Parts: sequence; C-alpha cells; structure tokens
Amino acid sequence: MDVSQYLEIFIDETKEHLQSLNEHLLILEKEPDNENTINEIFRAAHSLKGMAGTMGYKRMQRLTHDMENVFSEVRGGNMKVSSELVDILFRGLDALENYLANILESTEEGTEDNEDIINALNNILKGGVGGSQETETKVATNTATANIVAQATKDDKHKYKNIKLEEHEINAIKKANDMGLNVVGLTVYIQESCVLKGARAFMVNRTLEEHGEIIKLDPSAQDLEDENYDLDYSAFVITKDTPEILAKAAANVSEVKEVVADIYQLSEVDKAIVTASNEAMKKQKAKSGKVPTAKKSVKQVVNRSVRVDIEKLDVLMNLVSELIIAKNGLISVSSESDIMLDSAYHEQIEYLERITTNLHESVMKTRMVPIESVVNRFPRMIRDLTKKLNKNMELYMTGEDTELDRTVIDEIGDPLMHLLRNAADHGLESNEEREKVGKNPVGSIFLDAYQEGNNVVIEVRDDGAGINVDKIRNKAIDKGSITEEQAERMSDKDIIDLLFQPSFSTAEEVSDVSGRGVGLDVVKTKIEALGGEIEAKTKLGEGTNFIIRLPLTLAIIQALMVNIGTEKYALPLGSIQTVENILISSIKKAQGKEVINLRGNIIPIIHLNQILDCEKLEVAEEEDANELLVVIVKKGERYAGIVVDKLIGQQEIVIKSIGKYIKCPKIISGATILGNGEVALILDVNTLV
Amino acid sequence: MVEEAKQYIIVKLGEDPYGIEIKYIESIIVMQKITRVPKAQSYFKGVINLRGEIVPVLSLRKKLGFDEVEDTHATRIIIVRLEEQGAAIGIIVDEVKEVISLAGSDISKLNYDDKNDKATYSLGIGKFGDHLINILNISAMAEQDKQN
Repeated sequence: MDVSQYLEIFIDETKEHLQSLNEHLLILEKEPDNENTINEIFRAAHSLKGMAGTMGYKRMQRLTHDMENVFSEVRGGNMKVSSELVDILFRGLDALENYLANILESTEEGTEDNEDIINALNNILKGGVGGSQETETKVATNTATANIVAQATKDDKHKYKNIKLEEHEINAIKKANDMGLNVVGLTVYIQESCVLKGARAFMVNRTLEEHGEIIKLDPSAQDLEDENYDLDYSAFVITKDTPEILAKAAANVSEVKEVVADIYQLSEVDKAIVTASNEAMKKQKAKSGKVPTAKKSVKQVVNRSVRVDIEKLDVLMNLVSELIIAKNGLISVSSESDIMLDSAYHEQIEYLERITTNLHESVMKTRMVPIESVVNRFPRMIRDLTKKLNKNMELYMTGEDTELDRTVIDEIGDPLMHLLRNAADHGLESNEEREKVGKNPVGSIFLDAYQEGNNVVIEVRDDGAGINVDKIRNKAIDKGSITEEQAERMSDKDIIDLLFQPSFSTAEEVSDVSGRGVGLDVVKTKIEALGGEIEAKTKLGEGTNFIIRLPLTLAIIQALMVNIGTEKYALPLGSIQTVENILISSIKKAQGKEVINLRGNIIPIIHLNQILDCEKLEVAEEEDANELLVVIVKKGERYAGIVVDKLIGQQEIVIKSIGKYIKCPKIISGATILGNGEVALILDVNTLV
Repeated sequence: MVEEAKQYIIVKLGEDPYGIEIKYIESIIVMQKITRVPKAQSYFKGVINLRGEIVPVLSLRKKLGFDEVEDTHATRIIIVRLEEQGAAIGIIVDEVKEVISLAGSDISKLNYDDKNDKATYSLGIGKFGDHLINILNISAMAEQDKQN
C-alpha cells in the first residue's frame, strides 16, 4: 500500500513526539517519580513506534520498540531512572532524529542500525529486571493471569459480551429496546496484514452508521483512529436491521477478516441499574422521546487548529500586499483629482484602509509562531554541554510564548544556539573558579524573550565572568584590527562591538563547543539579514548579556516617504527618532566630519544625495538655502542625521526583493510599489549609523 | 542530424538585428518609468514595476558596449525569465521587428576568444534571407550578473 501521502503528517508528528520525549526525559531525570511524565513518555514512544511501523520504517520501529520496553519497566517501577539510563535514552532519541533527517532527505530511513544503542538498552533491561527476583515473578504472574483472561475470551469470539457498559449506554440500549429497535453487539476482526488499521476501523464504522447508530466503541473511536488496538474491536449499534445484515455489511469492507454479531441483551444487573436511575431520567425522556444520538457519544474532541502549509500563508500574505498596493493606488488617484471633495468617497476609502490594516494584522498573526518551537530544544542542549564541558549550569527560560513570524522563527534557531553555546563555554567560569569568587558553583544562563513595541527582544544572559574589555583591546591591537591610537579613542562599547567582527574569537583555546573564530560575526550577519540587530552588554565578574531585537513582521512596514533630489525613497519608520530643521550655519566640523549638536547629543550628518549619487534639486535649494531637513535615526545608542530634500508623508509599504541580478549597495534593503505604480527604493538607514 | 527549428524574436539596436530565443520571453512591454538603483552596474537602468513584481531592467546597448540613444516610441522592454519560477529581467531594445524560425543548420557558431566577454553573449550568427542575425545568449548574459 502506498503510504507516501501520509509522509508529511508522519514527519510533522514524529518531530512533535521526539520533542515531547526530549522535554519529558529532562523532567524525568529531575523527578524520577513523576507519574504523568513517564506516562507521557510512554504514550509518545508508543505512538512513534506505531507510526514508524505503519510507514514501514523498520529500523526506527525497532529502536523505539526497545526504548519503549525500557520506559515500560520504568513505568512499572522495576527500574530506577539514572543519569546513565537517561544518557542512553537521549542517544536513542538522537538516533531517531537522524532517521527522521534521512527520511526528510530521501524518504528512506537509512541503513544505520544503531546496534550499540539497542544493545545498551537491552543490557539495561536485563540488569534492571534481573536485579530483583521479586519483580520478575510478579511480571510472570501478571502474564499468567493475562493468559487466563485471553483463554477465556478466546473460546468466544463475541468479545463484546465482556465489555462493561456505562450507565448512559445501558440507558440508551434500554430505550432502544422500548422503541422496538435492535441493539446489535459486534466484534470486528481485522486481517493481520492490514497496514492502516485506523482507516479500516473508520470504514467499518461508517458502514455500520449507514445501518444505524453506534453507541459504543471499544476501544474508543479516538484509539481506533490512532491504531491503539490489536486486531479486533467491538461496537454496539442501535439499528432496525438484523445482526446478520450488519455483520455482512461490515465484513464487506476490505481487509476485514471476520465479523461476529448478535442481538445484545442487557444482563439483569444492568437492567437494575437502569431502573434505579430511570426515575430521574423519565422527565427528560418524555420531553425528547428520542434515542440519544449515537454520534454524540462517538464524536471525538475536535482539535480547533488546522495545519496549513506555510506556502499557502505566503500566497495569502502576497495577496494582502497586492491589496494594500491597490488601496494606496486608490488614495493617490483620489488625491490627484477632485474626487477628494466627495466626502462619501473619502469615508469609503478610510473604511477600506481600516479593513486592509486589520486584514494585514490578521494574516500576520496566523503566520506567528511562538518562539517555544525553537527554544524548547535548548534545555537538552545545555544538559549535553554540562556533561561535555564538565561545568554545572542551569538554563532559565522566560517568554517562550512570545510570537514571531514563521520565517524569522526558522532562521533564529542557529544564532540563539550559538549564543547559548558561547555563554556555556566562554561566559561561565568553571565550577571551582566560581566557588573561589564566592558565586554559586552552578552557573546560570538566562534566555528571555519579550515584545517591546514593534520589536521582539531576545536576551541571552549568563552570570559568568563577563567580557574583559582590555583583553579584547589588546588582542585587536595584536591582530592588527585596530591601531593603538584607535584603541585609545574607542569606548568600551566600541571595543565590545569588535567581537562581532569576522574572525575574532577571544577564547584562548579552540574547543569543540565554540571558538573557531566563526561566531559572533555569523550571528550578527544572520540577525541583520532578518532585519534585526544585536548588541552586547557586559560587566566584569557579573556576566554578559546579548540582546537581539527583531522586527515583528518582515513584509509590510510603516515608512516615511522622502524626496532626495528628484527621487522618492522610503525610510522605515521604526528607526526614525525625529525630523529636524537644522540651520546650515549650526553644522560644525569634527575630525573631518560634519556634525550637529542636537540637545546635547553630537550627531554626525550624512548627505544621502552624495551616497546615492542623486542629482541636486536646484529649485528647492534656492528657497530654503539656510536650512536643512534632517531625519534623526537611532540604532542602539548611536544617532545619525540624514539630510533629505522633502518629506512626502507616512505610508504603509510592502517590502519587495530587488532580485539577484542587479547589484545594489547595502543601504538599499529592497523596493516597494507606490500608489501610482512607481517603484521606490527602501533605505536601510541603520547601515549608515 | 537536422536540428529542430527554433523561433526567435528579432530586435534591433540601430540597424543591427539581434535574435532572442522565444522560449525565454515572457512578454514585451512599452517603455516604463524606471527607478534608478544607485551604484548598480552601469548597464542596469534600474527597476520597474511589472504587475506587482520588481524587475531589474538593463540596456542592451550598454551591455554590448554601444552608446545609448534617446528612447523613442519604438523602444521596448523585453521581459525574459530564464527559469519557470525564477526572477524576471527586462532588456531594453530600440525596436522589436518580427518572429522568425531558424533551423540549427542556419546558425553558424562563432569562433570567439573566451576572454572577450562581449562575444560570449552570442550563440552564433543566423542566416535569414539576406540578413545575418546575431543570436543572443540570454542565459550567459544573466548568469554573469547573478549574485549568490
């Protein structure tokens, strides 16, 4: 049978199960007696095994099976959770992740058998069970009783007779009997070779529903769908038809081996229960007089979320962008003609504007994913690092529910991982050193995410030794990155910024974990590519804090439209502080650069028309020759003043890529389409600061 | 071996005819307002808005090393797309003439010097009636500008 259509679902769910296993294993290591956790682990491992088996990934199935055995022993209380055990289980999870990676690449699981992990698991299993004679006998007797039960039911294929019914179900049966309808009990046997038991059960049930109403399924409908059953299950159906008709209809579904059915008779005990409680029910019965619909009891809890392919959301986002461009078009047409005078038209335009803004927000929100999906793998990573680096440390995370655009989420994982590794390896001192200076020997790393205005801020902080600014200064001089003279003039902050320069690692020794000289610069590049920025703060002896600021959305932003020469440019509003009229006479020269003194801040002046090779606007120059229009932008702690010729106004713009054919300077971050169809370039003023 | 005939669009720069294989061409549009991109390659005139898509536009005259002329009413932008889902690129020509069919045997390859990159833009010379048509290697022209 072709299962390729399920591959995507398989991959998604496997990822989820693996993540859940990772998280719960970490909890289990700390709280070995947490019953919920071990149950959750067991459930995830079991589903994983089932799914891998269904998809025909035998190696994956085998490994999960052996891991499940271990979980089962832990659940039964026959095995203690030790650090070694968790290590091996984590190795198992890693191996499963490798299988998944292979499947992602080629739909094949690969040929790695992971014998060593399986052996290790089996050894533990032997050791754990063999260690206590008592448990072994207990297990033995357990299986013995199970056998007896199996024996008892084996003779009678009508397994449904042994099922205990709930009170409301008995009630329903009784009412059906009163109305002269048949209550048929069935047990359906599926062929051993069946690949999709869940689907078969579903088809059988649908067939049964054509004849009547299913009031009970054992196992439950959810379990059937999840394939949590052996090869048979039972159902109770209220119907007008005879048991034979039902059995025949059900048996007609392919891959069904056998169906046994008969009229179900309530036992005397059951009847007694019903009569006892019936008094209360009578009123209700009189009102409705109807058999409770079976669907109600069968209906599963429907998850209120939908999986959507990210591409579909991209299409939706593009359409919203088009709509906003069209709206801008309408506005620009109306402002050029006399239509503007018509107030009704004006109102409608405003209404349209509100709708597009809301629509944009809604679509944006659907694209938002909690940062949790990225950061939830970090606790595991820190645990591994603890062992690898032989440093005790704890990771504290807050704000995992902070949301970011999906495209950002996909990209932010690596930089964050890098920063955390850095913090663990270089940031934190060794346990002994920490003790010597009177700190808690266990180091702390913090990962905090929160929203701040239109930005999402992620901080990676450690309580380690902090960055030794003088060390960096000396190293930069040694490396020839800066001259001694420059070093003198640079502030501590400037020096710390040197860390983000390519090939600048302060770790004295290159370790396996980090410090190969490709590091912070890569982090910085990546974050800037996402439209964000990063800065570092440090205090010697107290720790280092890396602060990442990311824009909430990438596709549509508010911008200030300006004229430079004859050309129109868009400046993202987010980085703009104020717009000032500056007297030309107040511009001073400092170190060959033009600066102004704005309310105590010395701000360098940048002439955009020179950078962009714009033609000078001759006429405007005449009018206000003694004043300049300066847009003040801020990046981190630094300011710059950008000279523009004219302000056009604020506008919502859609960012479009300029393509890979045309070479453009870094300052141009993209282009946008204006209301009149013209293209305006978007300037990333941050590159100027 | 007889190669199948391919269709080419004949464009003109001044009096000289050039051929562009039709399979690359998405559309031909009249001159548009072009937004200049500072510091771009000199032959790129800038970008245009093609039905919501930002498309870079280059001057074929400049690309081939000729002097530029004033735009006329015959000036056209040829929109080519090398890959189905890839980015488009606009090529400004003086005039678009006609569509012709040329068999492979009608095109004689040039023996050119590898170092002369202007020559790599040519796939060969096609003979059509009395005319000699320089067949342009559009993908080579575009690949050169592609940045990774």
